[in-house]
Amino acid sequence: MVGEKRWWRIGWRNLGRNRRRSIVTASALAIGYFSVVLMVGLLQGLVAEMVENGTGIVTGQLQVHADDYLPDKEVYATIGGRDGADVATLVATIRADPAVVAATPRVYGGGLVSTGTATAPALFLGVDPELEPQVSKLMESLERGRHPVAGAYEVLIGSEMARTLGAEPGDEIVVVAPAIDGSLGNDLFVVAGVFHSGLVDLDRALALFPLDVLQALMAMPPSRVHEIAARVPDPWVAAEVATRLAAELERGSFPVSAESWMTLRPEMVEYAKLSEAMEWVLMVIVFAMAIFGVANTMLMATFERRYEFALLRALGATPGAVVRSVLYEAVALGTIALAAGVAITMPVLVWWYHAPPSVSWLFGETTLSGALMRPVLRVEYPWLMGGAAAAALFGTAVVAALYPAIRAARVSPADTLSGR
Amino acid sequence: MEGIGRGACMWRGLASSVLGCAGILFAVGPLAAQTAEEIVDQVDRLLRGESSQGVVGMEVITEHWSRAYEMRIWSLGTEYSLIRILSPRKDAGTATLKAGNDIWNYLPRVDRSIKLPPSLMGGAWMGSHFTNDDLVKESRIIEDYHIEIGYEGVRDGVAVWEFVLTPKPEAAVVWGRIEERVRQDDLMPIWARYYDDRGELARTMTFQDFKIMGGRLVPARMDVVPADKPNERTTILYEELEFDVEIDESFFSLRRLQSEAR
Repeated sequence: MVGEKRWWRIGWRNLGRNRRRSIVTASALAIGYFSVVLMVGLLQGLVAEMVENGTGIVTGQLQVHADDYLPDKEVYATIGGRDGADVATLVATIRADPAVVAATPRVYGGGLVSTGTATAPALFLGVDPELEPQVSKLMESLERGRHPVAGAYEVLIGSEMARTLGAEPGDEIVVVAPAIDGSLGNDLFVVAGVFHSGLVDLDRALALFPLDVLQALMAMPPSRVHEIAARVPDPWVAAEVATRLAAELERGSFPVSAESWMTLRPEMVEYAKLSEAMEWVLMVIVFAMAIFGVANTMLMATFERRYEFALLRALGATPGAVVRSVLYEAVALGTIALAAGVAITMPVLVWWYHAPPSVSWLFGETTLSGALMRPVLRVEYPWLMGGAAAAALFGTAVVAALYPAIRAARVSPADTLSGR
Repeated sequence: MEGIGRGACMWRGLASSVLGCAGILFAVGPLAAQTAEEIVDQVDRLLRGESSQGVVGMEVITEHWSRAYEMRIWSLGTEYSLIRILSPRKDAGTATLKAGNDIWNYLPRVDRSIKLPPSLMGGAWMGSHFTNDDLVKESRIIEDYHIEIGYEGVRDGVAVWEFVLTPKPEAAVVWGRIEERVRQDDLMPIWARYYDDRGELARTMTFQDFKIMGGRLVPARMDVVPADKPNERTTILYEELEFDVEIDESFFSLRRLQSEAR
């Protein structure tokens, strides 16, 4: 171990031979590290924003349906079939999973909303006004008015729909919905509020009703719902929870299926996978470039010291010892570069994480794989990739030093010392 | 959404189907020397200016429910029609007015009339299997379709024509092809088959129970069966039918749509 220490010391001291050059080389590695970690953080931020909004606005991270509900979403395919289910117990069962923080029942329908002269087609969503905000953010995007109240003939409509109809909170609108018994459900509703989610499809087509009222309009008993949506704070465990819940619910008396957002929104999973592949490509490009920069510097440094290596060899140092001295120098360089890299990356990352800069001057709200994206440059802490980048940094330093080290070891003592 | 969109159309389809049958009927006359286009054109021209009123039963059978309606209908040419549901009680009073290009639905429960935008006029209503094209068929058939005789001869012991209707390239129509069998001696339709744009059969309409109503021979029963759900059907039964009744355009007003229901 004494030997090891000595080599460390030699490597470290050699860095001091040409301090300026060592600092420049270490800076190149540190900046490479900083770039990789920050870019990966931004890529992960983009994916996190997409998944959070894509699942958080309406979908939820997890949904439970009758097993024949998807993909056709027929209005008749309620949980428990014609007889329905004990909705409260079902919600409680799903809520009991340790990874689930909230669950809420939903009913879907379709029909018309009309002020008389202006009529628009609409997708109806019946929600529990108390539970729904715990699962989705849609009701948070209330622009004016207030939320509908359970049991009241009130509706929350999207901003585009409100514009089409010329309806404002307090106005009466006619709602027409084909009921599940074949009759034409219709009634007068008061517009309680108007929401603006930023997703044009929702803002144009969605109308939110208190669950019980929509059920009544569509001639459905309270025991019949289409969906239980649940919130799982860590979206990446949702698939696991879905499998667990499916097994748990299978023991019930009717067939149900549990799907995570990964099944419901495969396009977002695809994007996340693509983004992850990009992270690795990015890292390879940055450090591959760094390898040549560092190798060049090390070649210069070893060439300058060729007399020294010749002397060492003449005094009995083995070629392996020479290689080692150069490699330890590279490792020492890597250590400094990593320390510097972490020292500049961490504060920037922490600041960026807590105060993501707005780029609204560049673009407004946009969508990615169908998910709403705020115009902010958000970062996530890329722990795994941060570690991988640190390893890559060391790898770069050592690989870049290998060729110069071998050249140094091959120095012929007699020829070099005699100036030939 | 789609369901209700289809709704409007069902009304139009229904009204125009009534007219359609009547129309074909009006075309009775010497036809031997006529081309397919002329036959259909004659039907089309004969439709115009005709008025009718009647009571119609409609039975809708779907996988999930079945319902029987009784309704009173009035029509004038292809531009005007009014249909009011008489039963069942839950839907009684519900009415639809078509005046020109406007469709209004009256909902007695809320005592309001709502106007349907043109985008909502495709499809069927309350699961009935009528579509918007039923109207197209009547009013623009000559403009939108090439019509030729696919078969002329005897089928099941009856002399028939089988017309093949293919949409003209610029026509904005629902169907990729329509085939219709018509009896030669009295121009009664026997069936019509509707194919989608991939050439697959979408639905079949059959006509039967031919009898004199309002002084004319009509098929008193029509069945529509969707090809993908052979267990479902919509049946139209004409209970009363009168032609050339004394009604004019002013009859088809919003005021009437609402007032008569009360």
